[in-house]
Amino acid sequence: MFEFKMAWRETRGAWRHFVYFFICIAIGVGALVAVSLFASHVNRAVTREARGLLGGDIEIRSSHPLSVGGERVLATLNERGIATAHISELVAMAARHGSGAPISERRRLTQIVELKAVDSDYPLYGTLVLDPPHSLERLLHPEGETCGTAPCLGAVVQESLLIRMGLSLGDRLKIGQAIFLVTGIVRMEPDRMANAFSLGPRVIVSREGLQAAELIKPGSRVRERRLLKLPEGTLIEPIQNEVKERLAADSVRVSGYREAQPQLKRFLDQLARYLGLIGLTALFIGGLGVAMSVHAFVREKMRTIAILKTVGADTGTVVRVYLVQAVCLGVLGTLAGLSGGVLLQAALPSLLTDVFTTDVLKQLGVSPGLSAVSFLPLVKGALLGLLTTVLFTVWPLLAIRDIKPAAIFRRDIETMSAAERGRWWTRWGLNDRLKVLTGLAVLIGLGGLSVWQAGAWKVGLLFIGGLTLAVVVLFLCGTFLIGGLVRLPKMSSLSLRYAVGNLVRPGGQTVGMLIAIGIAVTIIATVSLVEKALLRQVGDTRPVDAPTFFFIDIQPDQTTDFVGVVERRTGGVKPELTPLVRSRLHTINGETVKVDEDHNADDKQEESKEDRRKQWYLSREYVLTYLDRLPKGNEIVQGHWWISGDTGTTPLVSVEEEAAKAMGLNIGSVVEFDIQGATVAAQVASIRKVDWGSFSTNFYMILSPGSLDGAPLTYVGTIHVPPAQEIPLQEAVVAAFPNVSAIHVGDVLDNFGRVLDRLSLAIRAVALFCLLAGGFVMAAALAATRYRRLYESVILKALGATRTLIGRIFALEYALLGFIGGTIAVGLSSALSWLVLVYIFELPWSFQPVVLCSALALTMGVTVTVGFLGTFRLLGEKPLAILRHE
Amino acid sequence: MIGISHVSMRLTAGGRAVTILDDVTFDVPAKQMVAIVGPSGSGKSTLLGLIAGLDRPTSGSIRLNGADITDMSEDKLAQYRRAHVGYIFQSFHLIPTLTAKENVLVPLELAGFPSADDRAGELLAAVGLGDRLHHYPVQLSGGEQQRVAVARAFACRPSVLLADEPTGNLDSATGEQVMELLLSLQRDHGTTLVLVTHDPFIASTMQRVIALRDGRVESDDVRHPAD
Repeated sequence: MFEFKMAWRETRGAWRHFVYFFICIAIGVGALVAVSLFASHVNRAVTREARGLLGGDIEIRSSHPLSVGGERVLATLNERGIATAHISELVAMAARHGSGAPISERRRLTQIVELKAVDSDYPLYGTLVLDPPHSLERLLHPEGETCGTAPCLGAVVQESLLIRMGLSLGDRLKIGQAIFLVTGIVRMEPDRMANAFSLGPRVIVSREGLQAAELIKPGSRVRERRLLKLPEGTLIEPIQNEVKERLAADSVRVSGYREAQPQLKRFLDQLARYLGLIGLTALFIGGLGVAMSVHAFVREKMRTIAILKTVGADTGTVVRVYLVQAVCLGVLGTLAGLSGGVLLQAALPSLLTDVFTTDVLKQLGVSPGLSAVSFLPLVKGALLGLLTTVLFTVWPLLAIRDIKPAAIFRRDIETMSAAERGRWWTRWGLNDRLKVLTGLAVLIGLGGLSVWQAGAWKVGLLFIGGLTLAVVVLFLCGTFLIGGLVRLPKMSSLSLRYAVGNLVRPGGQTVGMLIAIGIAVTIIATVSLVEKALLRQVGDTRPVDAPTFFFIDIQPDQTTDFVGVVERRTGGVKPELTPLVRSRLHTINGETVKVDEDHNADDKQEESKEDRRKQWYLSREYVLTYLDRLPKGNEIVQGHWWISGDTGTTPLVSVEEEAAKAMGLNIGSVVEFDIQGATVAAQVASIRKVDWGSFSTNFYMILSPGSLDGAPLTYVGTIHVPPAQEIPLQEAVVAAFPNVSAIHVGDVLDNFGRVLDRLSLAIRAVALFCLLAGGFVMAAALAATRYRRLYESVILKALGATRTLIGRIFALEYALLGFIGGTIAVGLSSALSWLVLVYIFELPWSFQPVVLCSALALTMGVTVTVGFLGTFRLLGEKPLAILRHE
Repeated sequence: MIGISHVSMRLTAGGRAVTILDDVTFDVPAKQMVAIVGPSGSGKSTLLGLIAGLDRPTSGSIRLNGADITDMSEDKLAQYRRAHVGYIFQSFHLIPTLTAKENVLVPLELAGFPSADDRAGELLAAVGLGDRLHHYPVQLSGGEQQRVAVARAFACRPSVLLADEPTGNLDSATGEQVMELLLSLQRDHGTTLVLVTHDPFIASTMQRVIALRDGRVESDDVRHPAD
């Protein structure tokens, strides 16, 4: 009990000293808990809303309408009490029709939309929120309104469509051949796939509406979804297997609601995992602050410790006193962090809202409040906070062993211990077995915490390895640069000389401050560098002649007219037309391709990356084309391209390199494609390397001319036009060919940029906690040397220095500290971003002076601000009062 | 009670060896009051520190209550001090963050003394500080601080009390009060007292005076204060 009593007495007397200790832990725990709480709430919501996200218990999906036999299978299911809903999703162009709100220059006459046709049973699960809050049936079948001569068809749309086209409820839209009355706004759609990318706003129409629009032609890009709702208590798996078997001939994909959202779940899991690791970095930076606080405290308490030992306290007792004190403060900091984390998690969803096409978090009903699922993240956060406190406290507390009771007699007790004056390995305790073992145990402990937070050995160990490396680099470079300052020729500026003197003085904890702030700036700068490189890759490196538009779903009988319309509008620019058809893999070398659809998300985690890649290639839909010549940006790496003009007898296929590798395809392998029920077998003639960043129409599979004769081909037209011609061209094409959709490359890239920006913002927001923790670590270090600074500043004053001069010395010291820390951080982030770009994204790294200079400026801003806040009050102190007490 | 045998202490200062104590040998029987006198730098305080086990001699041995403390580990020494030794410093060395009472409580709590709280109160009352229990060192005068230190030294009823110039930082009137207090407590507890002093008057109140010069015993004069 003595330990507890003494710990309390010591804390009571030095609470100011421990404010920073407390804050450092609270910030780290707060960041971690906010991320973990958010992740667990999202996870629970995804599981809870799985049926709603899929729209049913079972989904049957295909890229073509079901055969008559297939429809019959569904009819028999209906007879067994299984409810079905039919949904068709496709991309289409919407055009303003008739009068409406005045058209401003910025409003578009035509707009690409994601069209969804539903029947009266939709939605089977979840809630479709509409404004006005009428039934969907009523809004899709408005009464008493006429569009042209016929009764109006209704359409409910996403609000962004109204804004972009300057429309309001009651206005009319032309989609395909049909005219729709806009009767409502879709506020929330339960089963809109939570994708980050969308081509346009949602428009929901009835099945009659879709039919009237006449958009679906042979080969049109459409996703047909049949949703099943089973009677209560029915097991899903048997029905799922039965449907799969009975619809085998229709080449459909059948999935149950449990495995419906693995992508969303995995994306959110991974995002949470990496944000969590950044949170852990903030906690570890805070831990560094704790270590520095404890180190300074032990130095300050040398006399007290010596007295305690004199009156009979053994080392173990004294260590326990300060360990109890640290743990109690850690508990308080952790509790504050938990409360902060609970408040903070409410802010995270707003950062991520724009990442998804729909407000997926609202759709999932993710609430920021506490619930049963909050328990685990809170406990985990608390344990991480406490263990971090203990791990970072143990090492500096070992110094207590070296304090001899005889030290009480020595006048120089508060200057340097013998160990600190020794060689570097003595200074770092490398000749002390206990210190070395403790250091290793601390590192292993921190590694354990990282693995626990990361949820995976490899990621956790990589994280702690990277962090340790960063700390070592910052330490070595910091020591070297600061050491270099001493060796500089004598500086003429008095303030600069004093500033450098303050930095290089032993016990000033300069390197500790450098590490804390350096790590934080490294993370923020790395995220910015990677984001810039990605944006540059998709935006700035776009070739000048990259297409402006992709016109899709051009029917074979429309190609001549399409070329004519485009040429007339653009003054003779000829669009490039590529034939294409959708297919799936049927057999490879005679063996039926088995797509493992039953695996659930958890099993997937266990699979190797290669297995997942293979599954992805085997199960995906392939857009096939036939070409006479090897397209631009493609390079044959194996085999030969077919001879131009020679259609041959056997269909040949050229396969993209990565796909061939994943699926084990070689020259001579035979791949059979299922094209809407009909099969085409082709022999692999060549393997290609594709430059996917070329912004041309690129393909995994290219067949030899003649191979796709008779298949329901459509064409994609690409064209590059100057910006002034973009809108007129789009409007002319939509007017002439209502079934053709115009995908504007610039819009897609903007969309990508926006998503990237939001993700990067979320990461930087959490990384900001690292910087905040770094700032407090610096504040803690300054507080620890406050008295020394005060004493020196009053002596300088007594010798005639002005407040301005002393202020300048401090400012220069902090700016220099920021400059050194920032320079190392900039170097580290450049190296780190290079690793990420080259090895993960396989992109070239480029020098980004703006980001690097901003990072340097940010570091200097932080050090000068924190330094100023920490020391400006010293400037006003009266010398006599201080010196009298000496 | 205290046996000092051929104790030497050498330190290195500024790169050269300095002999602080040179072959010092003497015994102190139980309950004796001994003054150690000598000029500054003669090794008085170092000798007292060695008797308390606050440091180790370079050579020689020190026995306390029959136990050789020179070979004891740091922690064993701490436990030994806790049980047998009280120490009073010239500059008091109270823990600044603790109140007067808490300073006295520290050794009592370390020793697991039953009703430590009451004992600390009684001791402070005995040294005339019954009304200053909750004052911090900074709120006490030098004399009051030294009285707290005296109370702390006697807290665990040590068999040996070591006092290093206990009045050195006090004015003569206050110093006299503190000495009176110290001696009365010594009498009440029957403690062996070894006291380092510069003050010939204080030395004259002791039963024995050992004079040190340049680290060696110059004289060892046993007498009775009444003489």
